[in-house]
Amino acid sequence: MDNKVSIQKLATGVPGLDAILGGGVPELSLNLIVGTPGTGKTTLAHQIMFNLATPERPALFFSALGEPALKMLRYQQQFSFFDASKIGTAIHFFNLSDDVSTGDFDPVLAHIVEEVEAISPALVFIDSFRSIMVGANRQREGAIKLKLFLRHLGLHFASWDATTFLIGEFPSDSSPPPLLTVADGVLVLEQHVARNSMVRKMQVLKMRGEATLPGIHTFRITQAGIEVFPAAVVRDDGGEHSQAAVAPPTRTRQTMGVPGLDEMLGGGLPAGYSILVAGPSGSGKTILATAFLVEGVLRGEAGIVVAFEQTPSQSWTRTIDELVSAGRIGLINTRSLDLSIDEIVQRLVDMIQTMNAKRVVIDSLSGFKLAVAPSFREDFRESLFRMISVLSGIDVTVLMTSELEDRYTDLRFSPNGSAFLTDAIIVQRYIEVESCLKRVMAVVKVRGSAHSNELRQYEIVDGKIVIGTPLTNYEGLLGGRPTQSKASDADTRGSGP
Amino acid sequence: MNHEAIRRALLLQAGDAVEASAVATATVATWLEAAIRLTPVIGGEGVDMLFHRALQISAKDFPWLVVTTKKAGRTEMLVALQTHMSEREMEIALEASVALLAAFADLLAHLIGESLTDRLLGPIWAPPLPASEQE
Repeated sequence: MDNKVSIQKLATGVPGLDAILGGGVPELSLNLIVGTPGTGKTTLAHQIMFNLATPERPALFFSALGEPALKMLRYQQQFSFFDASKIGTAIHFFNLSDDVSTGDFDPVLAHIVEEVEAISPALVFIDSFRSIMVGANRQREGAIKLKLFLRHLGLHFASWDATTFLIGEFPSDSSPPPLLTVADGVLVLEQHVARNSMVRKMQVLKMRGEATLPGIHTFRITQAGIEVFPAAVVRDDGGEHSQAAVAPPTRTRQTMGVPGLDEMLGGGLPAGYSILVAGPSGSGKTILATAFLVEGVLRGEAGIVVAFEQTPSQSWTRTIDELVSAGRIGLINTRSLDLSIDEIVQRLVDMIQTMNAKRVVIDSLSGFKLAVAPSFREDFRESLFRMISVLSGIDVTVLMTSELEDRYTDLRFSPNGSAFLTDAIIVQRYIEVESCLKRVMAVVKVRGSAHSNELRQYEIVDGKIVIGTPLTNYEGLLGGRPTQSKASDADTRGSGP
Repeated sequence: MNHEAIRRALLLQAGDAVEASAVATATVATWLEAAIRLTPVIGGEGVDMLFHRALQISAKDFPWLVVTTKKAGRTEMLVALQTHMSEREMEIALEASVALLAAFADLLAHLIGESLTDRLLGPIWAPPLPASEQE
């Protein structure tokens, strides 16, 4: 019989945090929340405390020197998680500043122990232990004494059935202090300023006994408190046969909403695929995307548009606006300067689940890249890859538009080399025929499926795309200056007057 | 702040004696109870600072409330307050006491909000249960 200890996890209730902690904070653990001033440590501690504390399993919050308790109470009340009725019953505040200012640990420890024994809390918070550390530095062998102090604290609380959180401030330029080895878990909060945006990031540096989500995760502080956006991770399917591995012929196909386009794609777009629509400005990408979403709505499939274009075209706005108001299409239209891709993915996934959406449009990738905070632009391609994987994993068809400079000398489909990431590509180009600008469109690829290889002329009539006949009489269309092919010259001559 | 509730609580504390000295004693006792409730939460220093400020505010209407120099410690200040208050007429002492405690509570409410202040200080001047309901 297996009588190994099972370590319960306390779900913190902070959105996104439990996911990166591998389910929650292990019971009886000693955890450090560290970061430079202003990164949100006290807010995080309070949010966890108000979420978890009950009168049967109360919390003790010890405040040492640093932010005066009066101010802390004043500011933390601004968050919606602050519940004054819990104070005195589920939550007990204790001020240690008088003891800490002496610089001697023993009275501090004694006071802490006394309160813990009196109240038998399930959760203990100490904010902050930097002030205790400052005291340590003044003493001889202060560093060792501090380590011993923390170890004693940790052991004491564990034996009293309490999970502990110590909040600490460290100057950003110093290396992590050795006392991090004492802790069972370490959560590091940062705020990173690049150009004109400030991004908040969190990392689980250590969590004993847990498989945590690696990497640096962005988070936001709003009136509701902290919300964490776990970095999307491409899950390893372990070689299992999954929906993603189903060959296209057996997948259902979705109609695009543009007459003639489904045939060009070989019968419609396979469900769950990602498709890139690339073309120069004004070529009608947004119109195609709109038709895709509207078609979905007509078939009872909810859709979502993630809009980054600064000046959406008139027809797009009207059609989509009506459907958004009717709740048939969801809209994500963020303009904040500190966006992270993980946050967008999180919001998108949440909305997909709420609406049971099957079609998503991202308009456009170029706008997306500009909207993202400067510090994320370097990893844009990697993040895009992760985002597409997450979306196809939940079986949503994604159409992304991409701005393309019409360069006639090279056949490129997307900036950043993102083209390979998608399952299908439609390219739109301008050509010059008889001194007129004409539009042509072609399907470049549909993974695992036959598709048309014709370059078809198309027009935009009344805000809709009308696909015309293939331009068979010309050569060199993609070069931008096509010439009539010899065969057609012969015909024209032949049918002369 | 509910001045009526404070006045009633003070009178109850003062007991039957209708003298300024009883009011003074009741004032100090009430204030000590407030300090006991608040110190764990905001620290002794925080409590002292709020009280000093409350004294200053109330001193506009009752100048004799400025009882000591600024550097006085808590005990010294309370003793001086009790002495000075006892020398007044009972009605004046009562008014001053109510004003002082109300100012103190108002200050706290201004900083940390009414609901939290009520939770922390409310029980001090909550009306007691009727005799029949007490055990």
